[in-house]
Amino acid sequence: MDNARILVVDDDREIARAIEKNLKIEGYEVVKAYNGLEALDALVNSNIQLILLDVMMPKLDGLSTTMKIRESKNIPIIIISAKSDDSDKILGLSMGADDYITKPFNPAELVARVKSQLRRYMHLGYMDDVRSSKTQVGGLCLDTDAKQLEVDGETVRLTATEYKILELLMTNAGMVFSSEKIYERVWNEPAYSVENTVMVHIRRIREKIEINPKEPNYLKVVWGIGYKIEKH
Amino acid sequence: MDIKLKNISRKKSTKTAVFILTVILIVLTVVQFQFVSYNDIIPESLIIREYSQSEYFLTQEVRNAWYEINSVMENRGEVPKSAHYYYFISDGEKTYSNVEGKDKNFFKQFDKAFYSYEMGTWTIGENTNPGGITKFYVSDGYTIYISYPDEFINEKQQEWEESRNILVPFAVRVGVVAVLILTSIIFLMVQTGKNQLDDEIHLTKIDSIFSDVLFSFFIPLAAFWIIGISNLYYSGMSHVRQMYSAVWIGIITAFISVMCGIILLSLTRKAKSGRLFKHTVVYLVLYKIYDFFKSLYDGRMFERYPLTKSLFYRQLVFITSSAFLVFLTFLFFLLYVPLFLIPPVVEIVIIYWYIKGNNKTFEDIDKGFNESLGEQMKAERMKIALVTNVSHDLKTPLTSIISYVDLLSKEEDLSETVRDYVNVLSEKSNRLKNIVSDLFDLAKSTSGDIPLELESLDIKKLIEQTLADMEDEIEKSNLQIKTKLPENSLNIYSDGKKLYRVFQNVIDNALKYALPGTRVYVELEEIDGKAVAKIKNTAGYEMDFTAEEILQRFSRGDKSRTTEGSGLGLSIAESFTNVCGGKFKVEIDGDLFKVQISFNLDK
Repeated sequence: MDNARILVVDDDREIARAIEKNLKIEGYEVVKAYNGLEALDALVNSNIQLILLDVMMPKLDGLSTTMKIRESKNIPIIIISAKSDDSDKILGLSMGADDYITKPFNPAELVARVKSQLRRYMHLGYMDDVRSSKTQVGGLCLDTDAKQLEVDGETVRLTATEYKILELLMTNAGMVFSSEKIYERVWNEPAYSVENTVMVHIRRIREKIEINPKEPNYLKVVWGIGYKIEKH
Repeated sequence: MDIKLKNISRKKSTKTAVFILTVILIVLTVVQFQFVSYNDIIPESLIIREYSQSEYFLTQEVRNAWYEINSVMENRGEVPKSAHYYYFISDGEKTYSNVEGKDKNFFKQFDKAFYSYEMGTWTIGENTNPGGITKFYVSDGYTIYISYPDEFINEKQQEWEESRNILVPFAVRVGVVAVLILTSIIFLMVQTGKNQLDDEIHLTKIDSIFSDVLFSFFIPLAAFWIIGISNLYYSGMSHVRQMYSAVWIGIITAFISVMCGIILLSLTRKAKSGRLFKHTVVYLVLYKIYDFFKSLYDGRMFERYPLTKSLFYRQLVFITSSAFLVFLTFLFFLLYVPLFLIPPVVEIVIIYWYIKGNNKTFEDIDKGFNESLGEQMKAERMKIALVTNVSHDLKTPLTSIISYVDLLSKEEDLSETVRDYVNVLSEKSNRLKNIVSDLFDLAKSTSGDIPLELESLDIKKLIEQTLADMEDEIEKSNLQIKTKLPENSLNIYSDGKKLYRVFQNVIDNALKYALPGTRVYVELEEIDGKAVAKIKNTAGYEMDFTAEEILQRFSRGDKSRTTEGSGLGLSIAESFTNVCGGKFKVEIDGDLFKVQISFNLDK
């Protein structure tokens, strides 16, 4: 797995080279391409496990490339783009990308995301073992029998409260819960000014399950309303 | 010396002193006149040296005597025994006299005051007023002699001279004072409006009153003075009441002369600055009327729009010529009937010309309008594209910089110095990343090209969430946050993510720039259907800028701090608040820095 081969696609050769170097330090093999067409060729020519893809490129742009790849393959695609609007992210993810990183990125975070996607792909991608006691959202997998959480195949230790919160939110992924509701359901007590208490736990959970807790992928605050687990 | 004199004479204090002096002199003069009138002084004594020559003598004494004598003649009365004069009257039959048997020579010896009427002519002794005597009506056939003994005349002459002794110095005084008053008024008129600094005319507040209004104040003032004086003047003998009257007249005169002085000087200033006539109600009204009629045909309102202007002129020609043709129709109708068919035909031609020309112009206008609309859209698109492209062009090299700095820092065989340099590069490139990111957020939100996700949310909850989210920063900051939030929720209709950025930036700003150890206050309350949030902190440095300056892009509170942040935080907060439909206000009061964010409550 450590020798996974990654395709880096960016029309800026220096950026591609820097990414290559960073990934090689982590022990990955890297294939480079400088536009969408080259990327498609590389996919045919070598066995690729993950793609890092720029959006604004000549000949064939990243989004079209993503669509083309998705016609035949389900390997993880991480988009790396200078476009940082929410709408761009949503567009990229809806085209079939698995993650979206904005430029300029933090190299460590990039590597962490690559690892996360690869783990998920290796562990979960082939797993057909979807028992009814398991709730899955993206790379999160909650086993309600074992009261355990796996992030990208790795078990994460949660406190009882954290587990209960996550269970509530994950089994109702996409639904927004106010802090009062969370408190009443998790603590079984009437809620009175509990925003801070709930938020403290949310932050702790985030640190355990998110790659970048400042820009969470799963556990999101709906400002002025409540909290939710984003549907994946 | 000249300059010095100019400086002194233009000083405000000098002018005020002269003004007050003038008023005092005027008051003194008026009161002096009153004093003279109280002293029973006959003004004539100023001009006529001898009593016997005066008109006063003729009209008072002689006239009285003549009246008494006439009464005797016509059996209507008698001459009193105490009469000061000798008389003789005869109509040829009857004769009366108080000196029996004396002839004309007896009377003639008192040549200073000998008045006779013989054969229709008067002699009037030394008197200088021949005209005065002719007003005495006497029957033609009478002979009259009146004489005053010297003792009487001398006695009267003495009184006359006493009066003179008062009057002559008084006249001299009045003359001198009048010259003084005139001089100081001229001085004031010359100097008014000037100051020591330049030779310009400086207008004051009172000069903003229209000249004619100002001038018309003279009338009520004069009326007030005359009525005041005639009411206050006391003609009795009591000295106390005379004094009292004098004081009142003095006060009223002082008041009126101050007012008149102010008006006169104001008018003078306006005259000097050339505004005397132009700045009048009459001029303005007349000018407005003139200008209105002028604007009807000179087409000036269409100055900047040549197409509309041509429409306007065409319309003018059309109306004028049509009116003329109507007139011609009537004329021809009266003169020779068949001719009156011509004007309608001409009118048809004119209508054709008018419509054709107008259609062409309308077409041009439409074309121009579409062009400008298209250009505007293009410019708008260009702007948005520019922001996107510049953003991409900045971020791409920055990505390389950050990546290679990171790779560089991973190299193991770096010297201490190089590692130090790499750390600086890393820190600065990350800051640049933040700035670029903030800059484009701001650019997008100010250009309005920013998608909003509006929903009903609780601003109280949002503030609590934001504070909880920022707990780490707050703990690190060495500051205490004091919250005062309402019990119930305050729902507003807004974009939660943007609003979170707003509060995050404002609180972040407070944490960065507050004096260590102080408290930051975060308050929320409902005021008049609005949710009003206030964030207050005590600045840790002197805020030598205004609330407007701090919101201007790139301005930073503390100019010496350059290590972190983009300086755009508050600008972004303001812009996001506005985009989300709220109001953002900064107040600086001494060391207190206060941000107020308000939203209409969602009903």
